[in-house]
Amino acid sequence: MTVQVGTVYLLASLGEIYAERSGILNLGLEGIMVMGAAISFIFTLAYGHLAAILASIIVGILMSLILAVMAIYMRLNQTVTGLALTMFGLGLSGFLASPEIRRIILLALNPSLPENLLAIQEAPKLPEIPVPGLSEIPVIGCFFRQNVLVYISYMAAPLMWFILFKTKPGLSLRSVGENPAAADAMGINVFKLRCAATMISGGFAGLAGAYLFLGFQPFWQEGLTAGKGFIALSLVILSTWNPLKAILGAYLFGGVEVIQYRLQLFGLGALSPYLLAMLPYLVAIVALIAVSIESVRKRIGVPASLGIPYSREE
Amino acid sequence: MPFTLETRLGRIRVERRVGYGRLYSISMTLLSLAIALLVAGLILASLGLDPAAAFQVIFGVFVKPSLLLESIKQSIPICLAALGLSIAFKMNFWNIGAEGQLYMGMIASTGIVLLHSYYGLFNEWAIMPLMLLASFLLGGAWCLIAGALKARLGVNEILPTLMLNYVAMLVVEFLVHGPWRDPKGYGFPLSIPFPDYAKLNLVFGEPAYTGLLLSMLGAAAVFLLLEYTKPGFEIKVVGQSPAVARYAGIRVRRTILLGSFLSGGLAGIGGLSIVSGIIGRLRPGASPGYGYTAIIVAALAGLNPWVVIAASIFFGGLLTAGGALQMSMGIPRAAAQMIQAIIFLMILVGEFIKRYKIVLERPGVSGS
Repeated sequence: MTVQVGTVYLLASLGEIYAERSGILNLGLEGIMVMGAAISFIFTLAYGHLAAILASIIVGILMSLILAVMAIYMRLNQTVTGLALTMFGLGLSGFLASPEIRRIILLALNPSLPENLLAIQEAPKLPEIPVPGLSEIPVIGCFFRQNVLVYISYMAAPLMWFILFKTKPGLSLRSVGENPAAADAMGINVFKLRCAATMISGGFAGLAGAYLFLGFQPFWQEGLTAGKGFIALSLVILSTWNPLKAILGAYLFGGVEVIQYRLQLFGLGALSPYLLAMLPYLVAIVALIAVSIESVRKRIGVPASLGIPYSREE
Repeated sequence: MPFTLETRLGRIRVERRVGYGRLYSISMTLLSLAIALLVAGLILASLGLDPAAAFQVIFGVFVKPSLLLESIKQSIPICLAALGLSIAFKMNFWNIGAEGQLYMGMIASTGIVLLHSYYGLFNEWAIMPLMLLASFLLGGAWCLIAGALKARLGVNEILPTLMLNYVAMLVVEFLVHGPWRDPKGYGFPLSIPFPDYAKLNLVFGEPAYTGLLLSMLGAAAVFLLLEYTKPGFEIKVVGQSPAVARYAGIRVRRTILLGSFLSGGLAGIGGLSIVSGIIGRLRPGASPGYGYTAIIVAALAGLNPWVVIAASIFFGGLLTAGGALQMSMGIPRAAAQMIQAIIFLMILVGEFIKRYKIVLERPGVSGS
């Protein structure tokens, strides 16, 4: 259960780590995730799971391109641009997945779709694929009774860590986020690399949205991400921009959410479910405080050029 | 060296525009708005919906008196929140938490009403002033949390203000599902309906006019604060450069605390205008994202308090049109939300076009 919730955060934050390491704050994460969820919903009904996952990744990349063009090439304020992208994603997903519009899109995608699929608010969940042998192990077996996207997240985290810290493209990416002028002087194309990193964050955010919907709660409601994208953003800071530490952070937040469900089940009726639901947001704020305290900040590396547009003029 | 992009056509260069007039700036903003509507129209058309009819509904809102009045009513919380944001953004304090601060204002206002109705505290004539005060204080305090975290611990304000939005909404859910639920409300999560003396009906008994008065007073206050007072000046200096501010002897931390408190406080009064002007009681989801719309309004108005009023009425109209679109054309309400986000994106692109000009140099043509 912890893993199931945590994977949402893990997938979203892995991509965001790349964007922020390159100096781009992708505040559009929430909007891209909710778009990923909406697209995966529509495409699952029309063509099935695989097409849905691919479509949500592509839509995530396309949406992040808006941010890339505006924040990198037009040098607009990243906070405002990202926020605008989030609002766009929330509005567009609500619009596209609404019963009226969804019906139009579904019929355009697949005219032979039966009537009952045009109106339902849910989609089939991704099947769980137990790994033979490993899933029989008593305690850690639960890690190996998951759906395919969870396994992808297991593999992606170390791979992304390796690329970021042990390969030349990873070094270039980090140098672009630390000192773009110096990287530029060394012949690295700052604009292209930042653009690529932003697209990676968009692709992963789209995937995270698809996972949230298909792998966790395959029932559509408007704005179903409910701030999970923003929690993933604080998780990136908590993980000190390190994909391996993001695993721990993601499962921590996953755990917090599971605790909240468990407390509700275990007759803590006096505590209102609404008060318990605040827990993830409050933990995120506490995490931000913990990271920001000055003494801690000196030991960890905030990408020095995070949020600052690069231009060769100055 | 200016930013360049080599293409087959030649070299595209982006140059900073040196100074531009107000007329140019306004026409660029209007052009961005037009492009945004064009993009929205294209999306509608690609889905086989009639964009012309949709725009007729949207602009019809500003013509029909009853709908215009509704738009003005909807604009009040947006306007007050955007006025607050103008202060915060002038200070370079990225308050994304107007939504939560609105909810806190609603809670404070409802709290005063309930104290009167349940326990008989206060006189009837004192209710409205107390609601104003309480909503200002609680909204301000909610924003002050992020302000204090920034001033004291150096925590960036963006994520805390965002997180507090969700917390504030859950506080409302908790209250109306629990202690504040209307005993006669058949179990629905609603507070009791507000009595007449707790409603915004001072001017002609109409919330839209009373609210408009409130918006104008708010705009005047923000204008005076930023242009004619020392704290306002300090807020602007801190926004431009905390280092300069410190050098000039401005107490930066105190300014951040004050600025964030005022910013949240205005949004808090916006919350009051929702519960006692628009809905007449507290319920979950009372704000359909007014606090986020306010960010767009503040950006569109260029943080100018007077323009904020006009811009909020435009977006209030768009929200009203959302309902009208659903009723007359079966276009989901989210369309209004989508259109306003497209407008936001286009305004930002407009900022870029304002500040820079794009020059195409054909090979061989450019000498320098």
